[in-house]
Amino acid sequence: MSGYLAFVKKELIENIKNHRFLILFAVFLIFGIASAFLAKFTPEILSALAANVEMSSEPVALDAWKQFYKNSSGVGFSAFIILFGSCLSSEYSKGTLVLMVTKGLSRKAVILAKYTVAAVLMTVSYWISYAATYGCTAFLWNNAAPPNVALAAFALWIIGFLYLSVLMVGCVIFNQTFTSILFTGGTIALISFLGIVDPIAKFSPFILTTQNVDLISGTAAPSDFIIPALLSITISVLGLLLATKLFNKKQL
Amino acid sequence: MNVLTIQNLSKSFGKQKIIDNLTMTVPEGSVFGLIGQNGAGKTTIMKMVLGLLQPDSGKIHVCNESVCFGQTKTNQYIGYLPDVPEFYNYMSPSQYLRLCGEVIGISKAETERRGQKLLSLVGLSGVTKQIGGFSRGMKQRLGIAQALLTQPKLLICDEPTSALDPVGRKDMLDILCKIRGTTTVLFSTHILSDVERICDHVAVLNEGKIAVCGTLAEIKALHGHDSLRLAFSTDNELQVFKEQETVKPFLWNAEETNREIIFHSRNMEKVQQSLFRVLGETDICPVKMERMEPSLERLFLEVVK
Repeated sequence: MSGYLAFVKKELIENIKNHRFLILFAVFLIFGIASAFLAKFTPEILSALAANVEMSSEPVALDAWKQFYKNSSGVGFSAFIILFGSCLSSEYSKGTLVLMVTKGLSRKAVILAKYTVAAVLMTVSYWISYAATYGCTAFLWNNAAPPNVALAAFALWIIGFLYLSVLMVGCVIFNQTFTSILFTGGTIALISFLGIVDPIAKFSPFILTTQNVDLISGTAAPSDFIIPALLSITISVLGLLLATKLFNKKQL
Repeated sequence: MNVLTIQNLSKSFGKQKIIDNLTMTVPEGSVFGLIGQNGAGKTTIMKMVLGLLQPDSGKIHVCNESVCFGQTKTNQYIGYLPDVPEFYNYMSPSQYLRLCGEVIGISKAETERRGQKLLSLVGLSGVTKQIGGFSRGMKQRLGIAQALLTQPKLLICDEPTSALDPVGRKDMLDILCKIRGTTTVLFSTHILSDVERICDHVAVLNEGKIAVCGTLAEIKALHGHDSLRLAFSTDNELQVFKEQETVKPFLWNAEETNREIIFHSRNMEKVQQSLFRVLGETDICPVKMERMEPSLERLFLEVVK
């Protein structure tokens, strides 16, 4: 346990010193603020640029939240995966883990500490982004927040843990950052592809990322999210267990 | 008692067998030199002892506890200094030692106390700059300090001197000499003078096996032999000397180079008496006569031949 806590502390300091946290925080914050403003002013910008374009309807708060879910699940989580794709490969290439492991630090503690810190930084960045969108939307549309925005955001947050677990497995299997990220992208694409197949489509964890807007616009019910969320958590836990098992057999 | 016991250890990489049914023991309190050519498998053995590499077969025990690949339990007895130690570059030496202390699970005060002592032992006390700006020698010194922080029963050093300049090398050997008696040291190298300087036990690794093993004195006594070098001023003198009947029996085990003959024998006094008698009878005066002690270098070259 002391080894785990020591490594968590080291990881926190490292992610602050190498600006990983700063970049992640900035990406999420910028998109959090931009979501509301882009939704509000895109029609005006477009009509100013092209005089003959007519906007069919006035933008509403729902549009801002659409932007938030799209940006977070797309750019936000991509940045997260790219930034943390090197969390183990840099230690392999430099050989810094060897000294830690030969001091009796358990390999499980290494993986768990890296997962914990990445998850904490993702959580902080993501919810700050949510708060920024919430605040800006409330400001621009006079508190007209659609129902279930927090629940939909919570669903998307759960997917972040799934991505991180897949990334950890990739980082343990492959020594290079690029291949770890490629593995993560490929696995996520495979899971989402399986989600298209009809009988299992309604249980796919990717419902958590694709139907957030349906949830806040009222076309999907919160109950539709229960099984995908549980499945997502289960896969995250299994992924993390697999990463620790594989790391035990990794030649450092 | 043996701190480290290796039994019938084998390891291959692809089709190449690096370690072949190797058995060796490291007695407690010794400074054990593991000698071998580059690529002989010294680092492979050390990594298997540390549980970083999986052996194909065989058993390793550290302080009577079995080593399991991927597990780190036996590493609590071991301090490890890799050939190129790498640290987290943004930390200072004392910050790094603090991290090590937390990983090991010793109290802050104790880490501070041991850290100060070790940093002064390796000559890094008061150095506050980040490790990223350290030279190779400074990293090697910090490597020793971090390896000793656990107060290990066994210190494993993988070629600690091979990449250092003469001053750095001397300092490193001095540090290892200072800790002799408190910690058993397993030290791999291909620099034989380092071994002769600090080791009391030696094993020569060749073709994946221990070719020779024992105390330095034992090895020299058993496998080494004394030599006598005679240098002559002219080729003619050399020829006349070699043609003497008394000399002929000793020539089969002698090396001849450029008006010089080096005789090897386990009973050098007898050889000397005979040869000097011949020199007296033939009135030949060699320009140089030298009795040479058995050297580890010659022994090593013979073993790996």
